Amino acid sequence: METEQLMINMGPVHPSTHGVCRFKLIMNGEIIRDIIPVIGYLHRGTEKLGEMKTYLQFVPYTDRLDYISAMPNNYAFVKAVEELCGIEVPRRAEYIRVIVMELNRIVNHLVAIGSWLLDLGASTMIMYGFREREKVLSLYEMLCGARMTFNYIRFGGVRDDLPPGFIEKTREFLKEMPSRIADYEALLNDNEIFLMRMKNIGYISAKDAINIGVTGPTLRGSDVDYDIRKLQPYSVYEEFDFKACVRKEGDSYARYMVRIDEMRESLKIVEQALNNLPEGKVVSQTPGIGTYRWAPSTVSTFFPRIFNPPKGEVYSRVEAPKGELGFYVVSDGTNKPYRVKIRSPSFCNLNAIGTMVRGLKIPDLIAAFASIDIVLGDVDR
Amino acid sequence: MKGLAVTMKHILKVGNRPQVTVQYPYERMPLAERYRGLHAVHEDKCIGCGLCEISCPNATIKIVRYKKWYPQFDLGRCMFCGLCVDACPESALIMGGKYELADSSRERLIYTPDRVLR
Amino acid sequence: MNYYDIIVWILNWLRVYEPVNSFLEKYGIAIILKLFIIFVVAVIVLAFVALTVMLLTWLERKVFAHVQARFGPMVTGWHGLLQPIADGVKLFFKEDIVPAKADKWLFTIAPFIVFVPAFLVFVPIPFGKSLIVQDLRVGIIYIIAVSAISPIGVLVAGWASNNKYSLLGALRAAAQDISYEVPLALSALAVVLLAGSLSTQDIVAKQQDIWFIFLMPLGFIIFLIASIAEMGRIPFDLQESEQELVAGFFTEYSGAKFVFFFLAEYAHLFAIAGIITTLFLGGWIGPLIPFLHPEISYFIWFLIKCYAVIFFAMWLRGTVPRVRIDQLLGIGWKVMTPLALINLLLYGFLMALGVI
Repeated sequence: METEQLMINMGPVHPSTHGVCRFKLIMNGEIIRDIIPVIGYLHRGTEKLGEMKTYLQFVPYTDRLDYISAMPNNYAFVKAVEELCGIEVPRRAEYIRVIVMELNRIVNHLVAIGSWLLDLGASTMIMYGFREREKVLSLYEMLCGARMTFNYIRFGGVRDDLPPGFIEKTREFLKEMPSRIADYEALLNDNEIFLMRMKNIGYISAKDAINIGVTGPTLRGSDVDYDIRKLQPYSVYEEFDFKACVRKEGDSYARYMVRIDEMRESLKIVEQALNNLPEGKVVSQTPGIGTYRWAPSTVSTFFPRIFNPPKGEVYSRVEAPKGELGFYVVSDGTNKPYRVKIRSPSFCNLNAIGTMVRGLKIPDLIAAFASIDIVLGDVDR
Repeated sequence: MKGLAVTMKHILKVGNRPQVTVQYPYERMPLAERYRGLHAVHEDKCIGCGLCEISCPNATIKIVRYKKWYPQFDLGRCMFCGLCVDACPESALIMGGKYELADSSRERLIYTPDRVLR
Repeated sequence: MNYYDIIVWILNWLRVYEPVNSFLEKYGIAIILKLFIIFVVAVIVLAFVALTVMLLTWLERKVFAHVQARFGPMVTGWHGLLQPIADGVKLFFKEDIVPAKADKWLFTIAPFIVFVPAFLVFVPIPFGKSLIVQDLRVGIIYIIAVSAISPIGVLVAGWASNNKYSLLGALRAAAQDISYEVPLALSALAVVLLAGSLSTQDIVAKQQDIWFIFLMPLGFIIFLIASIAEMGRIPFDLQESEQELVAGFFTEYSGAKFVFFFLAEYAHLFAIAGIITTLFLGGWIGPLIPFLHPEISYFIWFLIKCYAVIFFAMWLRGTVPRVRIDQLLGIGWKVMTPLALINLLLYGFLMALGVI
């Protein structure tokens, strides 16, 4: 019996795509034969803006790329420029950066798992996830004044020192978090319905993943040990004792377990960082970077029209919670970059969806798509 | 189907954890000190130098004449990044805690100095 | 003793029944009084169920919210108690849209086909020793038969919407409903085997010593899961989930007709809770509460058990994710039906051997 192939459009506005992403599904009955993502609904021209703003003015725009975990975005750009100019960063600032970035990793994974389960129908997980996220966001609010777009990590350090009470509150959060993670695991790991929906769904082999360019937890769930914090340690990650979480199976369940393990590892890192926090300034003392003569000496800022990095280009990458986030900055000696290219993890991970869902049905598409954990701000920039 | 027993135990426990909703119009969450909300300009300290104007990424600030020379903020463009606060040499500009800034027309979103002076 | 007799008793107490009855008999139309009493009974049952359904919508939102560490409706009335009224008013004021190419007659009648059986099924459910509409001798068969009418309503609704996605959704919903009828009926049959009678009052009476849930735990679990699937609640609610491509068989319904579907779902929930209580949890049996008339204390026990089942269903909703449609049907036929058959055989054996 001849059946023809049907193209169904899963439109941009859909309750379970994480943002505005459109899929054209070519289906044979109920089975998906092919999938064509159509993106660009959230394109804001960030890379072009990079050519028109000065370096410092561009930092708030990097926040808005992957808006759920904004600190690593800040940091990736700042790291690129610091490498370009050879700015030295004081140790206290590095420790603070690691603390906020790892907290951000925990929060990101909570949101990822929460919205994943919301797509599957269990809406309790997202509420618990957001309850934890709320605590971290109030920590961030205490630190830099904003809850989602931080603009905190600047060239040569961070914007301002830790306010009083921050360390105590962070330690409180660290104390209660392991029991919450144990809660989530107990809620989900053995739940048979959950396993039915997740095991063997969205399989991607290690070879395919590497060929497509997938990074982050998606790659680590397919038995490839690739964590930039271990391979090319940046900042002060060498001084911490943690492991990169890898799972063998390559399906959605493996990716879920990788994220849970990573949350635990991040808690360990934050605890070690808090214990070993050195004293000192949080702003680099390199001449030319420093502060205004008149500004309080803990604020890292500089005259925006004067900062001219030397000519050159640099590509630097960090391990953002979603994958490898890289900034390629070309400078021509003026105070505005010549080109800022962003290698965003979600854009490259999105390409894996085709391999994952061939032969599955639509509910599986939703589950597998959520397991890649993309954010449209990152995809479209 | 039998694995539901595990979740049942935990839901019983979890059901006793506190409810964390803040009933918004009736209660508001406390804000931190450094919260980046609506700007406020100190009348005497501001010298009208214009450093905030050139450090804003979005061209939100314009220095206009109002008694002396003061900044005017176009909130339709502002992204509340705080670079202007960092740039001010006299520490005359701060960002306060007002965040309920929805308004009914674009013209009312331009906060002329009389609305931001303190 | 049933509601009819209770009302006759009340009228006797008011000393109204005899005179009116003999007056009407003189003209040979005593049936008017009977009809009137039946009408009153129907109104009482309907009113009670309707009020309970409104309360259930509120309770659902509250329980669901508390499981998720949040409050639920708090603004309307004390802790949101007036929320169902607000919802009802809103839905009634919505514009009543009938799609242009839809079959008007079928479109209008479909909500009723789904709604009426959910109320009809309350006839043999005993709320107390004599608080029953009519103690049918074939109570269980009546219940199963009447609840089997709802898939027809679903199909009619999907067909009459003239929307191919609604039709697909309706077909899936009907498939889900009818495939879980079988384990439902089989486990109910096992209970009938134990009790030796099809009448609901007899089944409750047989549970004086020990509730059937302890005698037949497997049957209870099968019945519970099958009824949750029948009602279309999470984890089996693929039809109502917004994340699916087709939005379900009641997409085209708005306003008052949607209210009927909505109420039918909760009435069905209450009815199933009542049935589970009758079959497995001992119906209205419970220690007498002092200072209260025995009937009322039986009624309160029945309500407590009913609400326990309802609470469990809402609790389950907050805990587990959804099951995929093919997995759902697979479980229904491959797991539940064999288990129900084994259950029946097992208890048949045990009864023949004289153990129970």
